[in-house]
Amino acid sequence: MTPDQATPPAIAPIDCETAVRRLWDYLDGRLPAVSREEVEAHLASCALCAPHFTFAREMQTALAAAAPAADDADAPLRARVRDALRRHVTTNLAADPGDTDEW
Amino acid sequence: MDGCTDGVSGAASLDPVARLDDVGEAERFERLTMPLLGDVARFARSLTRDVARADDLVQETYLQALRGWRTFRPDADPKRWLFTVCHHAFLRTSRREAHYVDAPEDDPELESLATASAHYAAQQSGAAAAAERMDLGPAIARALDVLQPHYRVAVVLVDVEGQTYEEAAEVLGVAVGTVRSRLFRGRRLLQDLLLEYACDAGFHSARPSPISPAMHGLTPAARTS
Repeated sequence: MTPDQATPPAIAPIDCETAVRRLWDYLDGRLPAVSREEVEAHLASCALCAPHFTFAREMQTALAAAAPAADDADAPLRARVRDALRRHVTTNLAADPGDTDEW
Repeated sequence: MDGCTDGVSGAASLDPVARLDDVGEAERFERLTMPLLGDVARFARSLTRDVARADDLVQETYLQALRGWRTFRPDADPKRWLFTVCHHAFLRTSRREAHYVDAPEDDPELESLATASAHYAAQQSGAAAAAERMDLGPAIARALDVLQPHYRVAVVLVDVEGQTYEEAAEVLGVAVGTVRSRLFRGRRLLQDLLLEYACDAGFHSARPSPISPAMHGLTPAARTS
């Protein structure tokens, strides 16, 4: 090891409660590296906690797949919105420039 | 917009330069935002759980966005901007109709504990095994329908639409911590529903029950609806 290679901090064993408290932060990738590695080390050796994380991850995967790609089913809505926008433009071209809704 | 100038020439009393500028801006608005209509429609349906109300909300979203178009920064994310407008319009309508109740603040880490506790209990009863055999897709859609709006929108923004916590916080106009607490609670409630559906789908053992503190080293969180 060269002098300029930093020694990574050693990870400490954690208990089930600590691991589980980090469940969603871990699955969302929001844990610091050391905390993440502690969770992974715990999961590699804990038959009780691993299924919790697996089921949670599968649920997240199913949620991510719940966003279907846009298809022609939206075509009538698209036409409706376009018509509404055009009516707005043609009837409000003389509107006060300051007349914008705050949102 | 296609054919838009057809209506402009009939408005003889308007400043032609201003009209062309507004028409050009409207065309730029449409080019940027219409490709995102499918995403906005999906988000609107997740808020309203009613297709007709969702379509009304989408139309209102685009009209509000067009009115505020000049305040849109070129480097901003148009999808997040439209989601923000949509959610704002939804809140305005819901509060006017007294549909919306503000969510209590939940403790995110307790929700993580409660999630695992419930799953552990489901393992003991066999419901977890049944859930693993279930087609999660339809069950997820059914469960999302049941969630309260403030939990559902947090789950939809982050887990379905792939927004970060910070992006979701911007859309909802709340703190990142609030997104986190609603998200964790929403996920826990979804899991509870999935395990319940697994039971209803034909697993005939006892329903999941809270575990004792001595088991699994976890502190059971109080289960509230």
